[in-house]
Amino acid sequence: MNPTYGIVAVTLVSLATLGIGAFGLRFSRTTSDFYVASRSVSPVWNSSAIGGEYLSAASFLGVAGLVLAYGADMLWYPIGWTTGYLMLLVFVAAPLRRSGAYTIPDFAQVRLQSVRVRQVASVLVVAIGWLYLMPQFQGAGLTLRTVTGAPTWVGTVLVAVIVVINVVSGGMRSITFVQAFQYWLKLTALLVPVFFLVHAWSVDGRPAPVAPEAWFTPFGGTDGPGLYLTYSVMVATFLGTMGLPHVVVRFYTNPDGHAARRTTLIVLALLGTFYLLPTVYGVLGRVYAGDLLASGRTDTVVLELPSRMLGGGAGEVLAALLTAGAFAAFLSTSSGITMSIAGVIGQGMSRERGPARRISTITALRAAAVGGTLVPLVLALSAERISVANSVTFAFALAASTFCPLLVLGIWWRGLTAAGAVAGMIGGGLCAGVAPVMTIAWGPDGWLGVLMSQPAAWTVPIGFGLMVGVSLLTRGDVPGNVSRTMVRLHTPEHIDVDRSSR
Amino acid sequence: MTEPATGPPEQRTYAGRVRVTSPLTSAPAHVRRSVRQEIDESTGIGEIYMRSLVRSQLRAALTVALTLVLSVGALPLTFLFFDTVTRFRVLGVPAPWLILGVLVYPGLFLLGWVYVRQAERAERDFAELVEPEHLDRP
Repeated sequence: MNPTYGIVAVTLVSLATLGIGAFGLRFSRTTSDFYVASRSVSPVWNSSAIGGEYLSAASFLGVAGLVLAYGADMLWYPIGWTTGYLMLLVFVAAPLRRSGAYTIPDFAQVRLQSVRVRQVASVLVVAIGWLYLMPQFQGAGLTLRTVTGAPTWVGTVLVAVIVVINVVSGGMRSITFVQAFQYWLKLTALLVPVFFLVHAWSVDGRPAPVAPEAWFTPFGGTDGPGLYLTYSVMVATFLGTMGLPHVVVRFYTNPDGHAARRTTLIVLALLGTFYLLPTVYGVLGRVYAGDLLASGRTDTVVLELPSRMLGGGAGEVLAALLTAGAFAAFLSTSSGITMSIAGVIGQGMSRERGPARRISTITALRAAAVGGTLVPLVLALSAERISVANSVTFAFALAASTFCPLLVLGIWWRGLTAAGAVAGMIGGGLCAGVAPVMTIAWGPDGWLGVLMSQPAAWTVPIGFGLMVGVSLLTRGDVPGNVSRTMVRLHTPEHIDVDRSSR
Repeated sequence: MTEPATGPPEQRTYAGRVRVTSPLTSAPAHVRRSVRQEIDESTGIGEIYMRSLVRSQLRAALTVALTLVLSVGALPLTFLFFDTVTRFRVLGVPAPWLILGVLVYPGLFLLGWVYVRQAERAERDFAELVEPEHLDRP
């Protein structure tokens, strides 16, 4: 592949992101500027922005790679990532917007009136964010190596640096417009080449993918682990989406609960449209790039297909377009998560009382952004490479085992207590947190390995169970203003009732 | 009305009915309390209204979740146990690929759309109950 086009594409996307970020700085001086300004954002723009932030490296590159490698079973990942928004819509969207919380720790404090719950939730936001950032950074390294031949660490460090500059300068995250633009860039980058590739495939005589029978049919081996893995992926993705830190914060940008529902519905349509495409790349990849399987670089199939199938100038230009889309995916998702992590850490730091260490919110935010990015950067550089889409699932599993019970029970069940919430988040979090550590560091065989590689199916019941059980044991500690909170969460904004938290 | 046939003998001497009026003229007139007040003051009635709203919204959400479990959630088992579905081909494309790769997505959107209609109807009904004076509102 000619590296020139690829380098130009990466440079353009990076410069555009930094440029628009710097431009946005002139409009949004404070965080609240951003939130207030965003209230005038229409559901269509808002949902494009959510789509732009949500569609990460795992969606853009990972799904096609998984389909190439494992076939039909992998179609569950994009289904899960879309269904997660349906679950978010029905259980969380409107009440969460009405709660007035910016983040999940905010929500926890509003609902349960406990600083301890807030602290536990803050730690979890950071943990989930790190798990989610690691594969983004890895994917960036992989992409840059594929298109330019540079060592893997170059792309990883490049994305991390751009993200930190962006967040520190207060840029990208503050502008709904950038995120919305990123969605349409990603969709275009994936959609336009498909026409050329499918045309080339037709001209070529429509060769069928060459693969073992198991690739074509779900559960080719009709084995227990296959069924368990599929259902575990379902649980993690269906329930984990609502707990991702960069997803929740977007809901505050809706003017009211009504708009939050509309926005989520449009997001469902946008995601559904996008996810039709990676499958095509995966299947074509099986036909034309089967050798990637042997070299273990299936995540690059999206980037490799144009030059392999078309070649020449057209192939190079389309490959550059895909590279641009991939980089947009890394940048938008990583910026969103880094901002969420930095927000939570920064809030904690500037809250520290005491004469010696009181720092301003903005300084805390900047320091937190730098510190919060270092850990996943080191992880990405040192961890043994596991498939991008797979490692993202650990973040989903952790969110599903901790924040999903917190949100669902907090919104719909009056009996939730602070002690119950803490027990559920710590218990579910420890179980879902041990799994990736074991898988990456040790990699056990057999059923233990299966259970550890996709932990959601057993960790989510633990999270829910602990939260309900301990809440029932501490029944006397239900916050006194729970009725008021319920009024606030569930009554439509235009009804003029008392929303204060007495 | 007929004279009571039984009773103390002295009552039977009166022919007409006697109007008895209360001397408490300062008693407050009966005021209709609005549902909004009931909710704001967290009275028993207000609580009942709130609980019924939350319950109807939760029912709508659980209906969607159940539909999802029975449709999308049942797909892996269907593929596992019904070979005819797995082997079926539409224009050369195996049915599982068509279902998982394409058909699921419009289904998810449809489910979401039905839910939003349902949830907003419940909120409209609640609004009419709480603020009957604002019936013209959307």
